[in-house]
Amino acid sequence: MPEFDLDSFKKTWQEQPVQQKYDNTEILQMLNRKSRNYVKYIFWISVIEFLFFTVLGLFYIIQGKESNSFLSILEKLGARKTTELEGSLDNIYVVLKILSLSVTAYFVYKFYQNYKKIKIEENLKKFILKIIQFKKTVNAFILINILLLIAFTSIFTVFIFYILNTQHIEVTNSTLTGFIIGIIVSTALAVLLIWLYYKLVYGIIMRKLDKNLKQLKDIDSQEE
Amino acid sequence: MIIADLLLSSCHYNTSILILTREKEFAQLIKDNQGLIIKVSRLYTNSLEDEEDLFQEIVLQLWRSYDSFKGNSKISTWMYRVALNTAITLFRKKSKSLPTNELDINHRDFIEDDDEKHQQVSLLYTVIKTLPNVERAIVTMYLDDLPYKDIAENLGITEVNARVKMNRLKKTLKEQMEKYA
Repeated sequence: MPEFDLDSFKKTWQEQPVQQKYDNTEILQMLNRKSRNYVKYIFWISVIEFLFFTVLGLFYIIQGKESNSFLSILEKLGARKTTELEGSLDNIYVVLKILSLSVTAYFVYKFYQNYKKIKIEENLKKFILKIIQFKKTVNAFILINILLLIAFTSIFTVFIFYILNTQHIEVTNSTLTGFIIGIIVSTALAVLLIWLYYKLVYGIIMRKLDKNLKQLKDIDSQEE
Repeated sequence: MIIADLLLSSCHYNTSILILTREKEFAQLIKDNQGLIIKVSRLYTNSLEDEEDLFQEIVLQLWRSYDSFKGNSKISTWMYRVALNTAITLFRKKSKSLPTNELDINHRDFIEDDDEKHQQVSLLYTVIKTLPNVERAIVTMYLDDLPYKDIAENLGITEVNARVKMNRLKKTLKEQMEKYA
């Protein structure tokens, strides 16, 4: 092949015989087609996650109160059920419920706001950054939910010890060890499952975004 | 009452006509510029099925952003921006992507002529497809004569860096083209 020069080849490239594949009617039909894209995919999965965690959060609080599973743990450990005890438990539940609901409300608002910010006519770098930011809102929501879960568990554990202490109940070492191990194992398992889920569901799309963003950053940091 | 109804229905009628006119105007715009979308679709997919899917996704995204396109930039710059954002970031491929170096150079159906120029165009497609996504975008826009300012703006990099990168890419492409010819 003779020497290749991209600049003198431009004309040939621009004049390549690209067939007029689609006519006006076909193009108009395309406008009614459903879009298959990653942002939409992240959007719907996030909506499901929001619903899941909101329902789970509500369930955790409501179920805890109604079935009094917490009280039954206390009773198993030997504590006496008093009106004072039930009163303070009610207060804790109300605080947690308000906290959990306001966290969800705040994130639903942020989620919608960041979704609206994703505009296809933005430049590539901003476009990628806004998708990542949108995803980060959901990640933060999940992370805070995990932290809340750990916080709730810790508060209840502290509360249990407080009650046992005020009622002067001695707990045998083996019961205590079983109780603490149970709490730690179940919390760790929940966190591990959530982490695995994230690696699976968002691994591919996040890697793709990061790769493209890295390419852009590399170009912008090259030496002249 | 009847007059009000008539007025209302005529308003409704006018709006529908307006929307229809706008859709028709858009369809004409796409038809006239489909070469640009076809080129991007070809450069970012490895099968005819994905290529057609990507074409349709780009048209859809262009339609969604058509309202915000107010003629501040050139039509081709806006089209490239939306098309590349869709191809690089949004598009979900159906078929598994092939390693680009294993592509059959002559598999493209659009090149029926076998003269030298067309073979070179076909080879250039293959060579460009071996580049990373962002570099591919720079070359694509450069080949269609978009000014460096617009190339840089579309990608969110500086104009100087777009220029430096393109000069390096010219060398790479030259080497590759001469090697495979």
